[in-house]
Order: sequence, then structure tokens, then C-alpha cells
Amino acid sequence: MEMIERYIYAVTQKLPQSQREDIAVELRGLIEDMIEERVQDKEAMEKDVEEVLMELGNPRNLAQKYRGTKKFLIGPELFDSYILVLKIVLISVAFTMAISFLIQIIIEPISILDHFIDLIVSTVTAIPMAFGWTTFGFALAERFGEINQVDLQMDKDWKPSDLAPIPDPKGRIKRGDPIAGIIFYVFFIVFFSFSTNYFGIWIFNDGYRGTIPFINEEVNNIYLLLIILILLFGVLKESLKLIYGKWTSQLVLFSAIVNFISFIAVVLLISEPGFWNPDLMNGLVQQDVLIEGSEAYEIVTTIWQETTKWMPILVAIGLVWDVIDGVIKVKRSKAK
Amino acid sequence: MTDANEHLDKLMQELRRGTITIGVLSQLSEPRYGYSLVTMLGDKGIHVEPGTLYPLLRRLEKQGLLDSKWDTNESRPRKYYLLSETGKEVFDLLVVEWKNIVQSLNHVIEEKGDEKDGND
Repeated sequence: MEMIERYIYAVTQKLPQSQREDIAVELRGLIEDMIEERVQDKEAMEKDVEEVLMELGNPRNLAQKYRGTKKFLIGPELFDSYILVLKIVLISVAFTMAISFLIQIIIEPISILDHFIDLIVSTVTAIPMAFGWTTFGFALAERFGEINQVDLQMDKDWKPSDLAPIPDPKGRIKRGDPIAGIIFYVFFIVFFSFSTNYFGIWIFNDGYRGTIPFINEEVNNIYLLLIILILLFGVLKESLKLIYGKWTSQLVLFSAIVNFISFIAVVLLISEPGFWNPDLMNGLVQQDVLIEGSEAYEIVTTIWQETTKWMPILVAIGLVWDVIDGVIKVKRSKAK
Repeated sequence: MTDANEHLDKLMQELRRGTITIGVLSQLSEPRYGYSLVTMLGDKGIHVEPGTLYPLLRRLEKQGLLDSKWDTNESRPRKYYLLSETGKEVFDLLVVEWKNIVQSLNHVIEEKGDEKDGND
């Protein structure tokens, strides 16, 4: 019977190699027994086979029962943190979009309808995206991460003396910090995804309302994607802080790696000559904000040049401090 | 009412998951193969899906509660399962525990019933 073999194949194919043959033989025997009972002495018809297989149910479910592996994407241990991070992320996305909507209607009140449509479009795309990425991250953590595994092994050998000491207040991570961090990162993710052109100097002249962006509008989309990726790593890092609740050596190591990669990427990006808007000063002059050659013009030019030069250094200090802070806190909490 | 039935279904599923193991262990002081267990238990009022029983037998074997042996003399090869030494021991202990649970639960359920009657 072709169909029986197909069914057996569908089940065993999803099982470890070592068990396949054994289970296949057993399953074949079972199906034949079930058919025999159904038809007694008569010849088995196609319909009988079908009914028996229906009774056994979807081969995928059967294979899953044989494997006995977990049937969830995010387990109970991570679920609370997942919901918390999800809430923060979704609220920050919604908040950021509301803000950028407001900015848009302040700058260009005439095309309010367009902005409103933009808002709806970005809501429909950004919310599921945020939801999806958060879930994806946690699903990965569930699959591969052994977060808090030691804490969870409170089986039979557990003694009260095994209880981990309450982390020293200095080593503890206040919940507010990672939450603020996530809001910060999500804000910039949404920002870089949808409205980099509003990141600049806002001009309100009689004839002109608009912005002169800091970042080159021609900037390659791959750069933006890279920025978003770095920020996503940031969200991951903050989520881990939230989950661990205290500084640990692993967390510091992970932060160091993430920060190092972020730093390299940011420096590469920012020092790219095409990254910053080369026409910023021209734009200011054109909009009569500054007069070329005036003292103010010189000052703004200097500020602009110095800021873009110092930006990578500022970012570096921030990222390095994050790690040093962690190391100090781990040391302090261990020293006790 | 359908809502209540839904809840009942879920709870019954949970309840059965544990009790089926006792049912299975109870029948395996002699070697039996999977499908014969399905019919045997079914006749005694314990309904088990083959799709649940077969993986369960394998799991119990892996845990060391059951031993198994292939019989290839019959018309089709069958895998026979039998309680191992550990399995026997575990089953005896399990029966004691089960009786305790039944007793305590009966006590709790009936006590509650009495109170109700008294108040009425």
C-alpha cells in the first residue's frame, strides 16, 4: 500500500536517523493491525487505509510526540521578559511614529492628508516588524540560549544553601536603564527606517518650510540597513540586561562584543565622506539663514565640521563606558 | 455549556496524560505489543490513542522502566514491551501513591458535598 509507506516516511523523516528504522517497522505493524481489525477477514480497501491513517492523525504531530521536544516558541522562563520587552518596543514604536507624524505636520501642514496616509502605512509595516523581530530574537534565545539555566535546575538536588546570593545593589541592573535603552534604540530604528530626512535643521521661512538634513539624502540604503542592524543588536543587549537583572561576566562579554562591532560599524559609516550632507552649509545660505562670509557662518561651519569629526569619538566613549561600567559592577558585586 | 465542555476537555487531557502511564505499566507484567495494549486498555474503559501510546512506550523504555524485544516469528514483526526490574518497583510505588491521591481527593470532594448539604 503506497499510502501507508508515505505515511511512515512522513513520520520517520522528521525523526533522528538512529530511531527511524525501528519506528518504521513498529508503525507499519500498528497500521496493519488497525486495518486488520477494521476489515476483519475482508480485503482492505483504499478507504479503510485512509480511515486508519486519519485516526493516527497528522504525521507531523505523531513525529513530534516521538521526539517529545518542546512545542513552544518562547517558553515560560522567558515569557515574562518577552512580554515586557514586547510592550516596551511596541509602545516606543507607536510613540516614535506619533512624534514623527507631529513633526511632519508642523513642517508641512498643507500635506496633512499625505502624512496621515504615511502614518497608517508605517503603522501597518512597523508594528508587525517590531513584533516579528522581538519574537524572533526571543525564539532564538529560547532555542539556543541557556539563559538562567543554572537557576532553573532546581530539581531534586536543590538545597537552600544553593540559593544564589542576592546581587550586590551595585551589580544590579535597575529595570529602568534597559527599558530606557530599548526605547532609545527603538526610537532610532523607526527613525532611520522612515524619516531620516527630518533629522536636520528645521527652517521656517515665509516661503519655505522644510529641513536641511544632517545626513546625505543620497546615502546608500545599505548604510541605513547597517545602522538599523546595529541598533537591533542594541535592543538585544538591553533585553539581556533586563532578563539577567544583574551584571555578570557573560553579560559584560556579550556587551563588549556587541559594542565593539557597533563601534567599528559606526566609525566606518561616519567617516565615510558621503555620509554627512555635503550641502548643509549651502542650504543654510540659500535659505537666508546665514550669510556667506559672516562671522556666524564661520562659527556654524566650524561647529558642523568639529561635530562630525568628534562624533565617532563620542560614540566610542559611550560604548566603551558601557563595558567598563559593567566590568566595575561585576567586580564590585563579587568583591563582597 | 459548550464553554464548560471545552474546559473539561482540556482538563481531562491533562488528567489522562498522567494516568495513562499507570494504566500502561499495569498491563506490562507480561510482554505485550503496542496495539494489543490499545485494545486491552480500551476494553477496560481506558481509551488511548495509538498515536499517544506508541511514543509513550518508547519514552518509558528510554527511561528504563520497560524492556523491549522484537518478535519476528509471527506474520509481522512486533515489538514487545515488558516491565523492567526498575519498572516493577516504580509501578508498585506508583500504585500506592495513586491510591493515596484517590483517597485524599475523594475525601476532599465528599467533605465539600457534605458541607453544602448541611448548609442547605
